[in-house]
Amino acid sequence: MTSPAKADDEVVRAPRPQPRRGVSLGDAGPPIALVVIIGIFSLLSPDFRTIANLQNVMDAAAVLAVATCGISFVLMMGSIDLSVPGVMGASAIAVALLVANNRNDNDLGLLGVLVAVLLGAALGCLSGMALVSLKVPSFMTTLGVSAVGLGIATLMFSGVQPNISDAMLRGWAVNRFLGLAYLTWIALGCVLVGWLIQRYSRLGRYAYAIGGAEEVLALSGVKVAPYKVAVFTLAGSFYALAGVMVTSQLSAGLVQAGKGYDFAAITAAVVGGTLLTGGRGGVLHSAVGVLLVIVLQNGLVQIGVSPYWQGGVQGLIVVAAVSAAVLPQRRRNQVTK
Amino acid sequence: MKFTSRPTAVVLGLTLAAAALAGCSEEASGGGGGGGSEASACAPEDVTLVGQVRNESNPYEASWLDGGDAFAEQVGLEQQRLTYDADSTKQQEQISQLLAGNTDCLVMNILPNGDSDTLPIVEGAQEAGAFLVTQWNKPADVNVADYDQWLSHITYNGVESGKQIGDALAEAIGGSGGIIALQGILDTGAAKDRYAGLEESLEENGDVELLDQQTANFSRDEALSVTKTLLTKHGDKIKGIWAANDDMALGALAALEQAGRDDVAVVGIDAVPDALTAIEDGTMTATVSSDGPWQGGIGLAIGYCVATGELAAEDISDDDRAWFAEQFLITDDNVGDFTSPVVDEADFECDNVFSRSQGAIS
Repeated sequence: MTSPAKADDEVVRAPRPQPRRGVSLGDAGPPIALVVIIGIFSLLSPDFRTIANLQNVMDAAAVLAVATCGISFVLMMGSIDLSVPGVMGASAIAVALLVANNRNDNDLGLLGVLVAVLLGAALGCLSGMALVSLKVPSFMTTLGVSAVGLGIATLMFSGVQPNISDAMLRGWAVNRFLGLAYLTWIALGCVLVGWLIQRYSRLGRYAYAIGGAEEVLALSGVKVAPYKVAVFTLAGSFYALAGVMVTSQLSAGLVQAGKGYDFAAITAAVVGGTLLTGGRGGVLHSAVGVLLVIVLQNGLVQIGVSPYWQGGVQGLIVVAAVSAAVLPQRRRNQVTK
Repeated sequence: MKFTSRPTAVVLGLTLAAAALAGCSEEASGGGGGGGSEASACAPEDVTLVGQVRNESNPYEASWLDGGDAFAEQVGLEQQRLTYDADSTKQQEQISQLLAGNTDCLVMNILPNGDSDTLPIVEGAQEAGAFLVTQWNKPADVNVADYDQWLSHITYNGVESGKQIGDALAEAIGGSGGIIALQGILDTGAAKDRYAGLEESLEENGDVELLDQQTANFSRDEALSVTKTLLTKHGDKIKGIWAANDDMALGALAALEQAGRDDVAVVGIDAVPDALTAIEDGTMTATVSSDGPWQGGIGLAIGYCVATGELAAEDISDDDRAWFAEQFLITDDNVGDFTSPVVDEADFECDNVFSRSQGAIS
């Protein structure tokens, strides 16, 4: 039984806190990984390093970027959001039925888009309300809201695929400005707006603080609940816009428009350096994460990796990238089970 | 996955319970009147018809249930429409609720969610004495003839449909040039068979070159981004796109539109309404139809014929217990026949129910 003495030793050594150098290193990890991966693919494939493919990567990243922008706020707060497929599905069908389409005589144009986004905000608000008023973990409430969203989408779908003929919405996917599709510019706009909210609004800074130390914030007299609801509402609007963008791309409203985007968005956010425990990361980190994920998908096709291998290879690289990104913060991650 | 559908499950469960209650009371009064007839055969009005598919938000599966309704109307009955949201557990729950009710004259036309879901359904029906027809999914080593109540299993030859559209694509690009292939979910039988069909077609059309093959998991959204990537990779060398289902074909069409290409032929499988519209418009070349409404009616028809004694279960030949049904290549020549599908009552006559067989599943 020599351990007590040892433990004493450690206690004596402990008081000097480590300077938090890890923060800057951790922030630099994902961009470095992105540059390295782009470098490797460029070396391996001449098809990858073309302007056309760069445009393609940017266009392909648009929808995921908007969804990830929304989920970043929720993750920053230390919550999780699995309502993406439901909210995207509901807004995709809603917008398809509100703009000019083959199912009814509606032709609301931009107003239809706005209504669809509001629908998403309402669903997000529902997640937030359930979280704060019923004290159900966000994992469960958002899963429920996803089912609600899919239910609404299925009801509106009613067996016949709505195809859009609205020139504006279809144009978003086809028309280009400075080489990028309008949708890509919309996504860039979302990232900018998201970053401004995160950096300069009370909502964004409280979201950080809630993720970092909710108790401290509550003890200092801040009412946390309204901010939580607001964050989920904001996230819901982003998902809804992503659903609208999918509708624009496919020129059809699909119930499954958001299928797989929940975990793709969480993956992108985490790869970009947003911690699932909250309090770290943000919109710009997530944007880098989105590019990492999309470049990976694109690059593996461009260098000709067999589709039978791609899923596994992609997973391995993601795990490696996440490990590299959070290595400087591993002390903090130890609490995560 | 289980949790996502919980609210819907509750609603469905309640509906089912209500339906079962209603069914029971009807059976009780009907049974009193017709009790004198022979025990094995059911009076036509006593037969309960049930069609079960994944979801009605899929046009193909919705049309399947519509076909079931059409058959039910033909014999003066109603079909109970069930959906289970592609959730295996939910499917099994629905089946066990059904089988817990009156099963004497119960006819079920079921689309099992996956291969492994078929056997529990079959064993339940066997024990309860319900008449069962399954479609699409069945483990290869399970023999339909081992079960009295499992009247028939119907599926489609994916190799054949993959080859049919492969040949149509080769013809559309003039017999030579580069194509790309979009595969389905790689570990499903449908994806494997259809791709094997494409490979057969490529062997016969030596000048058609497969530039690349990727999976888009049967999804329209994934097909869009994969196709865009492949278009930047291979550019003008791509003359045609082979997709293992119509959803991916439609995703590929969207990608072509965004890339400003209108010189690429696209083929798919399933004959979903949007694909038929695209074929009518001339943007898509071909698809293959399994005739969903017919599928919805035929399973009920076989069960109904056996339940009412018009067709004896032991008279069904072994070849008709598990068989490939006929499928139809749709091009702009015949697309008009498929845009508003109607069921032909003659297909569901008891002498005719196996008329579309293309042979037993080997």
